[in-house]
Amino acid sequence: MRTRGGVLVANIIAGLALGYTVANIGYGDYAELNRMFTFQDLRMLLAFAGAVVIIVMVFAVLRVRRAPGRIHAGVIPGAVLFGTGWAISGGCPAIPIVQVASGYLPALVTIAGVIVGMWLCHWANARYFHLDRGSCGL
Amino acid sequence: MSNYWPWWAGAIGLALVTINYTLTTDRSLGVSAAWDRVLHWRSERQLERIDAQFTDDRALVEAFAAATAEQFATSPLAGATRGDTPTSSQEVGPHAGDETAPVAPLRPAPLVTQAALLLSIFVGGWVAAVTAGRFQLRFDMGDGFREIVTANPNTMISLLFAGGVLVGFGTRLAGGCSSGHGLSGCGRLRPVSILATAVFFGTAVLVSFLLWKVI
Repeated sequence: MRTRGGVLVANIIAGLALGYTVANIGYGDYAELNRMFTFQDLRMLLAFAGAVVIIVMVFAVLRVRRAPGRIHAGVIPGAVLFGTGWAISGGCPAIPIVQVASGYLPALVTIAGVIVGMWLCHWANARYFHLDRGSCGL
Repeated sequence: MSNYWPWWAGAIGLALVTINYTLTTDRSLGVSAAWDRVLHWRSERQLERIDAQFTDDRALVEAFAAATAEQFATSPLAGATRGDTPTSSQEVGPHAGDETAPVAPLRPAPLVTQAALLLSIFVGGWVAAVTAGRFQLRFDMGDGFREIVTANPNTMISLLFAGGVLVGFGTRLAGGCSSGHGLSGCGRLRPVSILATAVFFGTAVLVSFLLWKVI
């Protein structure tokens, strides 16, 4: 499954399953998301944390190779910006797609923002930061 | 509103998606990386082409080595090779790569597949919304957004856009989002991912409390 066609099929399956799961957990629902971030409702937080625990255990059993990851100067500022944006708009990069798919048309604006933000980051990194993020290997 | 999955079903679902993707493709699932690469498709296409060129060149060199060895081993007639080599070299270049290009183990996923990932998320989300009876075309972001953030449509649009810019900029600067750092990275216990996840989640908690309590 490492050929081009195989990777394509795997991406389609992953996308369908991810969109279906994320929508059914309720990450696209701003009220639910705010209840998670303010700890009024731990359901979605437990879903995320539970997933991480399962993944850690399965990867440990299967001895999945550890991808190298360097802590560079952009990690903390980037995560702060992302956290702020997530709390305000209710979208990480996958969620606005699910929101639009659920009928929330204004999420198209969030997607436009994400696109502009990524372009800005590329531009600013090339011009000012010069960080060797190596991030696409994530 | 309460027909969402219980937490354990969500956990199993998210874990299955991530594990299945990692095992079948030997790559990490990352939605923001997919966005990034699709947005910069021009430069990504160029990279893919350069990559293909490299494999072409390598194949060309190998083909030359093989041909040279063959020539010297089988036919001692030097005149015949001098006439043939230039034309054959130009023909070998573009064609050899297609047949003999070795698949590098850790190349990023092809561009098309990343676009397919984003489209599939849309389809998956749509199927979920329709089958759960939640699908409804609307021009607001729901009661929660109206009560917690703003009821003014113009402010809503501005905030969504500003938030989106922060998300796009922040995820690329930090090198990942809730799927790349949060699920794949934390699942592999990468320190950078655990740090990033803690920071973006902590910030989101702070900002949400501010929105909810103060404003």
